[in-house]
Amino acid sequence: MLNWIVVNVICPCLGTVAFAIMFNVPKRFYVSCATIGTLGWLVYCAALEPSSPAIASFCASLTVVLISRVLTVRMKCPITMFVIPGIFPLIPGASVYYMAYDLVIGETREAGQSGFLAIKIAFGIVLGIVSAVSIPREVFGGDYWRGRRMRK
Amino acid sequence: MDRRVQPSFVSVIFGSGSCIGAAPTGRMAMRIEQIIENKTEYMDLLLLTDPQRDMIDRYLDTGDMFALYEGKELCTLAVITVSPGKRECEIRNLVTTYGNGGKGYTRAMIYYLSEQYRGKCDTMYVRTWNYDESLRVYKRCGFEHSRTLEGYFVDHYMEQIYLDGKQMTDLVILKKSLNEEVDIKKVVNFALNAGRVLLKNGAEIFRVDETIQRICKRFHVEEVDTFVLSHAIFINAERDGEEVYSKIKHVPLSSANLEIVAEVNDLSRKITAGMMNLDEAIGEINRIEQMPAKRKYQLVLSAGVGASAFGHLLGASAMESICAFFIGCVLYIWVLFAGRHRLSKIIINIFGGILITSMAVMMYVFVPVRMQIDGMIIAGIMPLVPGVAFVNAIRDIADSDFLSGTVRMIDALLVFVYIATGVGLALGVFGNWIGGVGVCLTGLL
Repeated sequence: MLNWIVVNVICPCLGTVAFAIMFNVPKRFYVSCATIGTLGWLVYCAALEPSSPAIASFCASLTVVLISRVLTVRMKCPITMFVIPGIFPLIPGASVYYMAYDLVIGETREAGQSGFLAIKIAFGIVLGIVSAVSIPREVFGGDYWRGRRMRK
Repeated sequence: MDRRVQPSFVSVIFGSGSCIGAAPTGRMAMRIEQIIENKTEYMDLLLLTDPQRDMIDRYLDTGDMFALYEGKELCTLAVITVSPGKRECEIRNLVTTYGNGGKGYTRAMIYYLSEQYRGKCDTMYVRTWNYDESLRVYKRCGFEHSRTLEGYFVDHYMEQIYLDGKQMTDLVILKKSLNEEVDIKKVVNFALNAGRVLLKNGAEIFRVDETIQRICKRFHVEEVDTFVLSHAIFINAERDGEEVYSKIKHVPLSSANLEIVAEVNDLSRKITAGMMNLDEAIGEINRIEQMPAKRKYQLVLSAGVGASAFGHLLGASAMESICAFFIGCVLYIWVLFAGRHRLSKIIINIFGGILITSMAVMMYVFVPVRMQIDGMIIAGIMPLVPGVAFVNAIRDIADSDFLSGTVRMIDALLVFVYIATGVGLALGVFGNWIGGVGVCLTGLL
């Protein structure tokens, strides 16, 4: 259990902050980045069991972008700050590697499968981002919900 | 009781007719200061143009007071208020001391106030009475008639006011637009520059577009058309159908610096809120562009940490992750080196892939702990992954900027292909070197 926490909480935290540093994200956003990255990964883990990597990627990227959008409105900054480091653990680097490896050892069929898996995961991420991005901006501001309640 | 203002104050109060075309700048000793404390000390002076104390009290606290000195002598005093929520300000009181009329001080003060409040306000109002001389002075300073409140001074002031033997009855409000002298070229160049900085440092297309449009609107260049691509900005601005200005800027693809994006975003917010005038904004964007990036060693270390942390997530063992840390560090030293010598993306990524694989094989051979190569390679790849290009491509496509989205997506995909090529090449070579690809690698793994 402890090991699981180390792997699935501390690693995404550290990794996300490391990539935030690499892309020069301002210091004040590090905590938010780490939170988003970790939550995204946890959702991915949770969704991986009952479904496929592609669907898990979709759920995780949807979570990442939704939280990012809320925080963007709160902290008044570009959404890119949070989305880019947060999406990093989901990018199918492993599948791309296995594709290259299988190609080298001549296992074309395996290579095709790995490549196709990479594309499916990437498409899951794309769908997740697109669906979260296409929600109108106002929904994420506090005023929208306050206004609704008052109208009722 | 009638209160008669001495006719000799006439020229005193309103600066008189020496309003020249340009602001007097030749004077050496003239300076304008804002007075923040003890504003009531100047009450005597203020009473000259607004002869009732409780009327002055209404604006003295909230208004900003400015004093113009020639040498040590106080020459002109002005009190100005800004209407909250509206982009308007109003000169409530403007008085020139006795004997200093006709020297252009009023003009200098108005010019100064216009510059000061240009960022916060669009329109400046001034209140005066229906006295021809003062109206003439203000009109020369660019004010035009806004409205007249007839009988204002009779209704609101306890004493009657006489100037030149004539009773002052009406309040005249004049107005002046603070933005009419904006240089269209300067505005467009600035907006374009802000857009270029954003695009260069990894902002989405719609953000670049929106920023340019907002800046132009704010500085009253209303008709602007922009066309933003992933590596170029086209802009065309018009004013009143006469002045047309267009410009194209090529923005080469380069590495992302999200801090700069955040800063320009803040700047754009401040500009839209009217907290900055054009010159300040130009200075600010130059400062933002000069902002130092992270230290090299920080980048290298974070690449190492990122590689090992994500490697561990993706299934590498603890020992493999530690090795991945070193791989990530060395890899990023190469990336920085290549970036400084402007090597092409193809070289950087193919050689990066080769570097990762070679190091992983070396570590497998020389580190006496049982490890797997693939874990280290997968971890090592992470710092090369084109995250910014990938996410921005998706966002652009989601915003229907298909052209830029496609270009960025191809950019991201090609980087993946390059990395895979590098890794594959190296795997092949090492396989042959140790003896037979299939045998060796399956043996290794």
